[in-house]
Amino acid sequence: MNQTEYIYIAALNQYAYCPHRCWRMFCAGEFTDNQYTIEGTSLHDRVHTTSDVQRGETWQIRAIWLKSEQYKLIGKSDLIEAESGQVYPVEYKRGRKGEWDNDELQVCAQALCLEEMTGQPVTTGYIYYAHSHQRQLVEINQELRQSAIATIESVTNLLETGAMPKPVYSKRCQGCSLYSQCLPKATDKVKSYQEVY
Amino acid sequence: MGTVYVTQIDAFIGKIDERLTVKAEQKTILDIPLIKIEGIVVLGRATISPAVVNELLDRHICLTFLTQSGRYLGRLEPEVTKNIFVRKAQWQAVGESQPAIHLVRGFVRGKLKNYRHSLLRTQREHPDIDLNNNITRLENAIAPIEKTNNIDSLRGLEGAGSAAYFGCFQQLIKTSEFQFEARRRRPPTDPVNALLSFGYSLLRHDVQSALNIVGFDPYLGYLHVERYGRPSLALDLMEEFRPLIVDAVVLSLINKRSLTLTDFTTEPLSGAVSLTKEGLHTFLRAYEQKKQSNFKHPVMGNKCTYQEAFEIQARLLSKYLMNEIEKYPPLILK
Ligand code: SF4
Repeated sequence: MNQTEYIYIAALNQYAYCPHRCWRMFCAGEFTDNQYTIEGTSLHDRVHTTSDVQRGETWQIRAIWLKSEQYKLIGKSDLIEAESGQVYPVEYKRGRKGEWDNDELQVCAQALCLEEMTGQPVTTGYIYYAHSHQRQLVEINQELRQSAIATIESVTNLLETGAMPKPVYSKRCQGCSLYSQCLPKATDKVKSYQEVY
Repeated sequence: MGTVYVTQIDAFIGKIDERLTVKAEQKTILDIPLIKIEGIVVLGRATISPAVVNELLDRHICLTFLTQSGRYLGRLEPEVTKNIFVRKAQWQAVGESQPAIHLVRGFVRGKLKNYRHSLLRTQREHPDIDLNNNITRLENAIAPIEKTNNIDSLRGLEGAGSAAYFGCFQQLIKTSEFQFEARRRRPPTDPVNALLSFGYSLLRHDVQSALNIVGFDPYLGYLHVERYGRPSLALDLMEEFRPLIVDAVVLSLINKRSLTLTDFTTEPLSGAVSLTKEGLHTFLRAYEQKKQSNFKHPVMGNKCTYQEAFEIQARLLSKYLMNEIEKYPPLILK
């Protein structure tokens, strides 16, 4: 048997954003702190101090590790709540509701871990947007589960083979902290470049 | 701020909070935030605090040691990035492989074409001199590059092209004060050669740093063969930049008379020529200014500095080796 390698839940999010970015971060080990990631980290620093409180009807626990043996997932949760016996994850995000739906994927992966850890079905989760102080309900439905599982398979494959997905230029590149390493337009630019004599 | 050059003998390089401080003779001569530093070059002797060494390694800032006259001694090399894929691709291409031949063609073509443009420009600006013979010789070295399929022959073309260029280098010098006969190294025994050698040492620090950031092993090259302690890939990637940066800075300093013979000293017996302290500062300023000057990158289409171009070319090199781009485009500027 191979030594088991777990996948970071955060890698799923990155993969959904851009497979090439996921490869750079988790296979090639490149990481640049730009404004986004720094802000994100300090927000997480605050969240990631383990504490366990009872607020009215809601029980809360912050910053615990989540793990799934079935999917080989691991990651730190921002907040887990339980209300009337129902557990659900809450993920904190910098800024507004995401333009991309990869945040939901991350919540779903946390739900998969929670189900395995508690033995109970998890049907909902939330994303908390720091910018608007609002919680967005995420329904852990069949469709989302399937796309999360498919992403887990893709990331597992990526980590095992190390095969680089080619960068593809899109709108997402503009906010990407790895832009100057990735140079996503290079392939096309080089193709059309005519060297001067 | 880009590179910090420490020229003061017996300077002390230390750190206070997040700032680098350089002290000499009980005075602080430099105090800048570490975040603004891209590299450090020490000329001559200096003491470096262990805290600075840790900090430089941690921040991936390269530190190069040169002798006072600019000869390369060694460097503190931070860990390369964890990008093993770049190094794997680099190693796979070693020898007479198709990618290696392609890259060597690129390095040689880049350098010789930049030489050619430099001669053509001078010829345009100074119709009184005649460089046509040397330009033709250069073109004769450039023309067969694409059809040449082995690295040794490409080295030959590189040699022939360089000889054609340095054969008329004297005519690019517009003052009778300086004479250039031929390229002489180790040690350079005339001011022009001293300036060229010194400039190439600085360039090597910069190119090697860029390769390190991208994840390459700078000691494994294609045009330059492996030899113990020789950063062959840095020497390879330097080729296209030599005329664009170093030769341009040297010629401009001489032709504008920013440097005169009084800025040089000659060692007894060996005849080795080096810059005086004042001359050194003039040269370092000009080199740094050149590196920070802007131009439009002919391939990427955006504005960049030469300092940024080192890394862009290193990234293009890695993209070629990893099959992301179909060819390696050397930086060629008109
Ligand atoms: S710049 Fe674009 S292609 Fe490159 S990693 Fe970022 S999002 Fe992906």
